Amino acid sequence: MLSPYRVLDLTTERGLLCGQILGDLGADVVAIEPPGGCPARRLGPFAGDVPDPDRSLVWWAYSRNKRSVTLDVTTPVGRDLLLGLAAEAHFLIESYDPGFLASHGLGPDDLARVNPRLIVVSITPFGQTGPKANYADSDLVILAAGGPLVLTGDDDRAPVRLCVPQAYLHASADAALGALIAHHERARSGRGQHVDVSAQQSVALATQSYILAAALGAPEVRRTAGGLKSWHLTMRLLYPASDGWVAITFLFGSAIGPFSRRLMHWIHAEGGCDLATRDKDWIAYTQLLLDGREPVEEFERVKRVIEAFTRTRTKAELLRASLEHSLLIAPVATLADVVASPQLAARDYWQSVERPDGAGAMRSPGPFAKFSAQPLRYEHRPPRLGEHTDEILGGELGLPDEELAMLRREGVI
Amino acid sequence: MAALDGVKILDLMWVMAGPAGTRILADYGATVVRIESTKRIDTARTLAPFFGGTIGTEQSGCFQNLNLGKRLLTLDPANPAGREVFLDLVRWADVVTESFKPGTMAKWNLGWDVLRGAKPDLIMLSSCLMGQTGPLASFAGYGNLAAAISGFSNLGGWPDRPPAGPFSAYTDYVAPRYIAIAILAALDHKRRTGEGQHIDLSQAEASLHFLGPALLDYAVNDRVAGRVGNRDRDIAPNGAYAAAGDDRWVAISAATDAQWSALCTAIGRDDLRTDPALATASGRLAAQDTLDAAIAAWTASRDMHDVERVLQAAGVPAHAVQNSRELLADPQLLHRRHFVAVTHPERDSVTLEGTRFHLSRTPAEIESSAPTYGRDNEWVLKDLLGYDDDRITELVVAGALE
Repeated sequence: MLSPYRVLDLTTERGLLCGQILGDLGADVVAIEPPGGCPARRLGPFAGDVPDPDRSLVWWAYSRNKRSVTLDVTTPVGRDLLLGLAAEAHFLIESYDPGFLASHGLGPDDLARVNPRLIVVSITPFGQTGPKANYADSDLVILAAGGPLVLTGDDDRAPVRLCVPQAYLHASADAALGALIAHHERARSGRGQHVDVSAQQSVALATQSYILAAALGAPEVRRTAGGLKSWHLTMRLLYPASDGWVAITFLFGSAIGPFSRRLMHWIHAEGGCDLATRDKDWIAYTQLLLDGREPVEEFERVKRVIEAFTRTRTKAELLRASLEHSLLIAPVATLADVVASPQLAARDYWQSVERPDGAGAMRSPGPFAKFSAQPLRYEHRPPRLGEHTDEILGGELGLPDEELAMLRREGVI
Repeated sequence: MAALDGVKILDLMWVMAGPAGTRILADYGATVVRIESTKRIDTARTLAPFFGGTIGTEQSGCFQNLNLGKRLLTLDPANPAGREVFLDLVRWADVVTESFKPGTMAKWNLGWDVLRGAKPDLIMLSSCLMGQTGPLASFAGYGNLAAAISGFSNLGGWPDRPPAGPFSAYTDYVAPRYIAIAILAALDHKRRTGEGQHIDLSQAEASLHFLGPALLDYAVNDRVAGRVGNRDRDIAPNGAYAAAGDDRWVAISAATDAQWSALCTAIGRDDLRTDPALATASGRLAAQDTLDAAIAAWTASRDMHDVERVLQAAGVPAHAVQNSRELLADPQLLHRRHFVAVTHPERDSVTLEGTRFHLSRTPAEIESSAPTYGRDNEWVLKDLLGYDDDRITELVVAGALE
C-alpha cells in the first residue's frame, strides 16, 4: 500500500518496530546500521542461544521487510552518503539520543536542506527537549515515568512490568502513526516536517486514563495482581481454573453489569451459588458498594463464590460457556496456547518467514490487519548485517566498486 | 491548516481501542462524527476515573479522554429512519469505522457490501477482539480478555505467584495505533488509486506484534516465556526499589558497565564497583539478589524523587514510579504539554491528555471536549447533512435519534 515510498531506518532498539510497520505496508525500508551493527542485534534471546549479530531474535522480530546497509554516519563521507540517500527518500526514522544526529550535521534542518519533502521521525525516551530530555532510560524506567508501572503488580510487592520490553513498542507504533499523519499532510503541502515521539508519553496510553485521576478529582487507583483497587474496593479480573487461569470482566454498571448478571445466572444454574447471590443488582452494584447498602465483605464473599466455581472448570470449558452464554471469560494463555489457537489457525495468521541464518523458516506473527485491496506483504526476511550495502550504495547510489572497497577498508561501511 | 484537515470519519466504534485510535486522528484535524445510540450506552461512559469520583454517563474521564475533539450524533442505526440518516453520513464520509461484534452491521443491513454500494470508494475498518472470521469471531468482550487470550496477562508478575498481567485492558492500548495506521495507509492507497477497501483488524492479532521476540523464542528455540518479576534478560540490576514513604518506589536499571560503575559510586558501594565478578553484565545477572539488596538498602530511607535526581545526574537510568498526582506535576510532561484544559458543555473546563507526539509544522489542535449526548445533533443534521427542521422532527418522532 505504501510501495512508492522509501524509508531510511536509522533506529536502534528503541525504534525498530516503526520501520517494520511501514515495511509491512509495502514501503521500501532501508536499515542504515553502524558498521558494528544496530545495537538491537546485541540483544537476546538469540537463535540457538548463540550470541551473534545475525542471530538476535529482537532483530529478527522487528526487521522483516527491511534491507540492511552499513554506514558510519559519524564520518564525513558517511554523512554525505546518507544525505545522498536522504535526498531521494520519503521518510527518515531515528532513535538516537536527542541532538546526536544534529551534532554530526544530520539534524532535521540539515536533512530538510537536501530534501524539504522529507519526513524525519525521532523516537526518544522523553522527547527532543525538556528537563528530562537527556535522562538515561530503560524499559522499566520509561514505564515508571509514564504511569503504567504504578498500576501493575501484587499489592505486597514492588510494581512489576511484563517479562518482555514494551515501552519502545508503544513509542515505535506512535512513530509510524505520526509519520503517516505528516505524510498525509505532505500530499497537500509538498513539505516534510519533524515528528517528535516521547516514549514516556506513548506508554501513558496504557494507564486507561487513570493518569487523569488527580486532574479529575477522582481517587487514585492502586495495584493488585490481576485487578485494581479503587475507592475501598478490590476489583478482581483474574480467577483460577482447574488447569490455569482465566480472565473475567466481573465489573458492573449499565454496560458491563448485564454480563455479570448472566455469569451469576450460569453459576447458579450449575449449582455454584444460591438465588440471593445470583439476584443482586449487578447494574447498580458499584454504587451499592460505594454508599454502603452492600457491605464490602459481601462483595468479597461473591468473589470467593466465583473462584470456588471456576476452580472446578477447565479454561476450555470456561471459554465454551463464555461463548454459549455471552459471558466475559477468556483463558489466560501461555505463548504455547497462543500458537496453538484454532482461531489464529482458521484465519491463517502465522506467516512462515525465512530465517536469516539459512536454517529454514520460522513461524512469525502475521499481518496486523487484513486489507481487502492489498494484503500486507511479507516479502523480505530480516537482513543480515550489511547484506544490501553493495546493492544500495553501489547499485542505486552509483558508487563504483573501487570506492566501495575503499570505504570498506576505512571502516565506513 | 491541520494535518488531517478534510479527512471525514464516520465512527461507530465504542469502548476503548477503537475510539482511542480515531481520537489521535481528531487531534490532527480529521472530522470524526461518532454515532452513539442512547439505547446502548457506550461502555466507556461507565468507566472510571469519574469527575469528582461520581459515577454517571457524562461523568467518565475515560470516555472524555478517548473522544476529545469528536462530534456526536445520537442515532439508532437499527431504526429504519435512523438507517437512512446513517447512509447519508456514509456518502459524506471517507472512512467508516465500527467495532461491534462481527455480524452486527450486517444485521442492520449495513454491512460492507451495502455501504460500498452507497459509496463505491469507501474505506471501512472493522475492529474487534478476534477478527471478523474464525471460530472465535463472535467472542466479544474487552481488552482484558484479549490480553489474556493473546498471552500478555500470563507474562506479567512474579514466578512464585499467580499472573498479575499488564494493567487492565492492555490490548486496548496497543491496537489504537494499528487502527489509525491502517486508516491512513488506506487513505493513501485511495488517493493514488481511487480504490476504497475493507479492513478487518483483530485487536488480538495486531497486539501480538508486541510479543514478537518472545514468540520467535518459542518458534526458534522452543522456549515458552514465563513471569520473571522485573528481571531482564540482558540488564542487571533492573528493578523497582522501595523508597521512603508508604508504597513509594523507584525504578533503577544499569544497562552498561559504565552505568553499573556510576550506580555503585552513587550508592557508596565501592566494594561492588571494584568486584571483578560484577564487572560484566553476565556477572551481574548471576548475582542479582545481592545487587538488589544493596540498592534497596540505599533507597529505603530516601525520597524517590531524590533517588531519581541523584542517579540520573550520575547517568544511571532511574525514575520515581509515578502515580497520577506526580504525573500531573511531572516537569517533562508539563514541558511536552501532555495535559490540556479544554472547554466542556457542563463544566468550565476539563483537564485531559493532549497529543502523545509532536509534529513540528502542523501541530495537533485540541480545543473541545468529548461530546455530551445531543451536543452536536443539530450541527451534524443541519450543517453536515443539510436537513431542514421538518426532516429532523420526523426523525425525532420516528425514534431515530435515540
